[in-house]
Amino acid sequence: MGYAAARGGLDAIEAAEQLVRLKRMASPSAWVDRDQIVGRLRLAVDRVMGEGGVWDEDLAAVAIRQSEGDLIEAVHLLRSFRSTLPRFAYGTDVDADELRVIRRIVPAFRNPPGPQLLGRTSDYTSRRLELTDESIAREEAEKLQTQLWADQLDEDAPSTASQEHQQPRRLLETLRDMNLMVDRRRTDDPEPFDITRSPARPPAPRSARLSSMARAETGALVNQWYRNILGPDGYLHEVTLGEVRHGYLPVRVSHPITGNPVHVGDVRVTEVEAIEDLNGIDEDRDRFDVGYGLCFGHNEKKAIAMANLDIACHRDGGQTQVEQSLLLTTDGLDSSGFLEHLKLPHYVTFRSMMERKMAVRNAKQKSASDDKGTSK
Amino acid sequence: MTTLLSQLVDETVGDTSDVPFALLDEYSKREIRRAILTAVAVPGYQVPFGSREMPVARGWGSGGLQVTLGVVGPLDTIKVIDQGDDQGVNAVNLRRLIVSSTGIPETTVAAESTIVQTRHRIPEDGLDTEHILVLQVPVPEPLRGVERDMRELARMHAEADYSKMWVSLYEDKVRNGVITQSTGYPCLVNNRYVIATTPIPRWDIPKLDNAPFLSLFGAGREKRIYAVPPHTKVEPLTFDDVPFEVEQTPGATCFRCTSSMSFLVEIPGPVSRWVCSDTDWCERHEGGLK
Repeated sequence: MGYAAARGGLDAIEAAEQLVRLKRMASPSAWVDRDQIVGRLRLAVDRVMGEGGVWDEDLAAVAIRQSEGDLIEAVHLLRSFRSTLPRFAYGTDVDADELRVIRRIVPAFRNPPGPQLLGRTSDYTSRRLELTDESIAREEAEKLQTQLWADQLDEDAPSTASQEHQQPRRLLETLRDMNLMVDRRRTDDPEPFDITRSPARPPAPRSARLSSMARAETGALVNQWYRNILGPDGYLHEVTLGEVRHGYLPVRVSHPITGNPVHVGDVRVTEVEAIEDLNGIDEDRDRFDVGYGLCFGHNEKKAIAMANLDIACHRDGGQTQVEQSLLLTTDGLDSSGFLEHLKLPHYVTFRSMMERKMAVRNAKQKSASDDKGTSK
Repeated sequence: MTTLLSQLVDETVGDTSDVPFALLDEYSKREIRRAILTAVAVPGYQVPFGSREMPVARGWGSGGLQVTLGVVGPLDTIKVIDQGDDQGVNAVNLRRLIVSSTGIPETTVAAESTIVQTRHRIPEDGLDTEHILVLQVPVPEPLRGVERDMRELARMHAEADYSKMWVSLYEDKVRNGVITQSTGYPCLVNNRYVIATTPIPRWDIPKLDNAPFLSLFGAGREKRIYAVPPHTKVEPLTFDDVPFEVEQTPGATCFRCTSSMSFLVEIPGPVSRWVCSDTDWCERHEGGLK
């Protein structure tokens, strides 16, 4: 009804929109404020900001609410909003060593240089559905709120920890001191590839791969990783994590008049360094190499997959199409948009296909009757 | 700081408080226009561009939409069709977006328009030198069926090495008795580049050859724009002794306008009926050809 060839397409889509709005806006439940989404659906907000490529918790919350929790849809809303904004300044380079950690773990050593700081994680929380009575849960929440401010339990509160504790030296540096790392550091300083302004296709610089992965759909990246570990592709080798960090990085822009860098805010990021055991015939067998992952917000699954795929792609060296997979198949908007386009009317193409089916059938019949004719 | 930055924005791009004319910011439009100019200068070459995220999903005409928004001006008149139908849901949606962000008039009559954005059809008539036809392209790469590696695809286009395509067409003919490619038939443009003709039916291919109008192909998801300029040769790939065939429906006529001279789609039933896919043509020819 109202679909495809029927007239009145406008009435139909407006009615469909009305049905969507009705349930979303007129639900008998209480209205959800943006700060509730930012405060309570923290990881969803982080994920949407990361895949949307926009650091703005409030906008991400609006998008999540509007999309009724469909995170890919929320990412779409955020990205298409950004398309209407001009880009008028570039941030200056930030050294990732400036990261102020609120969580840092080093699985590669029991006692690495610097702290093992578990921070905020549910890694070791038993996954039991908390079926606490609502009123008791609310009471607990209120009590914790008071305590949070009284005891400064907030990880975001100014820390009294030492500089070394907040900005620990990287494990990588220690391994370099021990001459255990292949040194791939470049001496030149090429402009990073801007994937929002130029389409990245293989062969592409590493910066294109890293930024594609940083904006990739989390599930797509996890799947790329897993199908390369276990699945049909198998280009990937399991790494040992040298750093898993969650913390704050400063953002600076050049002052339009003085040209001096000005600190305009901080972004929270997850950073991972993946130590790779080089075991290829032609590789440096007495050293390790490293893969790098960094994304907006707290999203360790994504940063770990990214770091492992980064080094896998480097080791692959263009032998296979793993780079093409990373650059072209991990964007959530691309894949879900194209998948859903199958719902559009396709009757012109289908008519043309049916016509060819009849043509093949006629050709077969003709050749069968020709064969009969010759055998007589 | 904030004041200074906002002043800077105002000075460079004008007022940012409202959504700009044709939705995209001026930098994005300039980039799209530059890609279009390159595409027109090198017919059939797929020009990369930094496709923006649009308010419609990728795969739903986001490329065609960016091309239209890149070329549209306040004096234009827009026609949008999907499968030939002005009232198709996606056509309505895109037209609504274009009209609301530009304030330009809309029409269903191709001859009255200046820009026609289309998904998978070329209007049966009415396009002339003053028209721009914008085609929505799902898959801009004509060779993807014969080669998956993008590095190799780039080489094949650069060297005009279309041998794999020819072999595939030959094998198709030998195995099936006919060339089974239905829509999006591969064509050689200006004797140089093979293009994917979007999935328009083969019926529409002859309209592209030496056409008076400019055809712009926009692929948003794959971030490519290509063009067939006016009066450019567009040749479907086929063999000397295998004539190119458009869709045939012997004996069928449109149940509304009785035409047998337009692309017909089937309304299945115990006895199938046929109807023009170009709804505007059908309306204008109702009651017999005038």
